[in-house]
Amino acid sequence: MNRDMEEKLVKSLMILSLAIVVSSFFAVLVVIVWKGFPGLTLSMITKTPQGDFYLGGGGGILNAIVGSLYLGLASTAIAMVISVPASLSLQKEYLGKTKAAFYIRLALDVLWGIPSIVYGAFGFIVMIYMGLGVSLLNGIIILTMLQLPVMIRAMEEVIVMVPAELKEASYTLGANRTDTTFGVVFRQALPGLVTAVLLAFSRGIGDAASVLFTAGYTDRLPESLFEPVASLPLAVFFQLGMPYPEVQARAYTSALILLLIVLALSIASRYLEKRFRKNILR
Amino acid sequence: MENNIRIENINAFYGDCQVLKNITLNIPEKQITAIIGPSGCGKSTMLRCFNRLIDLVEAATYNGNIFIGGMNILSKSVDVNDVRRKVGLLPQKPTPFPMSIYDNVAYGLKIHGTKDKNILNEKVEHYLRVAGLWEEVKDRLKSPASKLSIGQQQRLCLARGLAVEPDIILCDEPTSALDPVSAQHIEQQLIKLKKDYTIVIVTHNIHQAMRTADYVAHLYLGELVEYGPAKEVFENPKDERTKAYIDGTFLSDLNTNTEIVSKGKRFLKHPDKRQISAGVIA
Repeated sequence: MNRDMEEKLVKSLMILSLAIVVSSFFAVLVVIVWKGFPGLTLSMITKTPQGDFYLGGGGGILNAIVGSLYLGLASTAIAMVISVPASLSLQKEYLGKTKAAFYIRLALDVLWGIPSIVYGAFGFIVMIYMGLGVSLLNGIIILTMLQLPVMIRAMEEVIVMVPAELKEASYTLGANRTDTTFGVVFRQALPGLVTAVLLAFSRGIGDAASVLFTAGYTDRLPESLFEPVASLPLAVFFQLGMPYPEVQARAYTSALILLLIVLALSIASRYLEKRFRKNILR
Repeated sequence: MENNIRIENINAFYGDCQVLKNITLNIPEKQITAIIGPSGCGKSTMLRCFNRLIDLVEAATYNGNIFIGGMNILSKSVDVNDVRRKVGLLPQKPTPFPMSIYDNVAYGLKIHGTKDKNILNEKVEHYLRVAGLWEEVKDRLKSPASKLSIGQQQRLCLARGLAVEPDIILCDEPTSALDPVSAQHIEQQLIKLKKDYTIVIVTHNIHQAMRTADYVAHLYLGELVEYGPAKEVFENPKDERTKAYIDGTFLSDLNTNTEIVSKGKRFLKHPDKRQISAGVIA
């Protein structure tokens, strides 16, 4: 084979791969928008379900929207507070290449791969043990656990990329590890950390199985941490399970709303990332 | 206070490989001392001993004494952060921190406890002037340091290092990543600075050493083969190896040297894109 053919072949393989990715994304998007958009009415996003909502009656899924935002934002916030120091501690200067760090990374990788229903089942036991009951708090705890491995590993990958020269420059000024970690490493890694948070948030807000046993489902808006709370993934699940086409259509509307929330946060995080990145060389 | 550097019987090792062999040397204060020699001769390692940056290199060990102003900085009881504050380093490649021009210079001041805004403003301006950068950046102190040209970045690093008020400035090939005009700028600043600071400059560039240095030390394969006033060393070298190095007839010996070069560089984890021969001839 001549080199010209080789070039063309490789290039077309690349384009084919991209086409598969882009077309699957568009297929999902088109189906969700096509089936869900007609149901996207004002009452759908401003009202809680009426008595006969699941039989095709009036109302909306405000309970699930509010529930998902509470669950997603609170668990992401808590996971972030834990993940930043945890991932920074895996640097060379702290745990770095120790055996402990090796096993921590292994544990996180396995936890990342564990199906969320397992977290749900675990949360169920914790709930009974702690006497919490199906509640918003319990849902937040389990979603935090679900997000931690994703967030810590993604953050660590970014922190590893911080150039050694930059850290040295800080040490040569007489800075200690704390100054260097929070003054330089954290700032340098910031754009990547934003991406890591978004990645974990998307996993958290979109998960149905882990909240099924822990946060439950209710038609009312939550008034305290100890009450059950609805969520969008479960709204999709329950409505899609109904035998009425109009209720099934609303399942797609719920999915569309979930998609829009994630999209909005993606755009916001892109904006933040760009702002943070302008300080960074190369 | 005296700011000469008295080096007594320094040995340094990377694993089993000895990179500095029993070096004894007295570097005078308020003069520029150039350390010259081919790649892998231990120049950078020696510099890293002066500010204990060698402590950060895995598997590096050393023994001997280095007295700065009468204090043995290699003694275990010495606070490394104090040593590094007194001994600044200008790195080979500019490493501006991911923050504004102002914050880059203020960083060292802040970590050493200066909080007063007026003092910070005053010192930032002062040291930017000393580094010869003030006129170029005074209207955009809040813009990211990453937006500066590479030569400006290096002068910013100089200002940043001077701001913590060291007595000694170490330069590890400070101009090798710069264009000739920027390099000349840095050289001129260093010559101006020697009335207040003891300066040690590691360089591959014989002409740079001739232009700037008052004293010259020639290291070869970890040994100090010649040391004396620059004029004497360049015009009338006593050692055959120094004569060969200055004349540039040294290339045939480089092959035997390559193994140590690669080993040393690997330990230092410093990506080094320079060509060996180009560095020697330049």
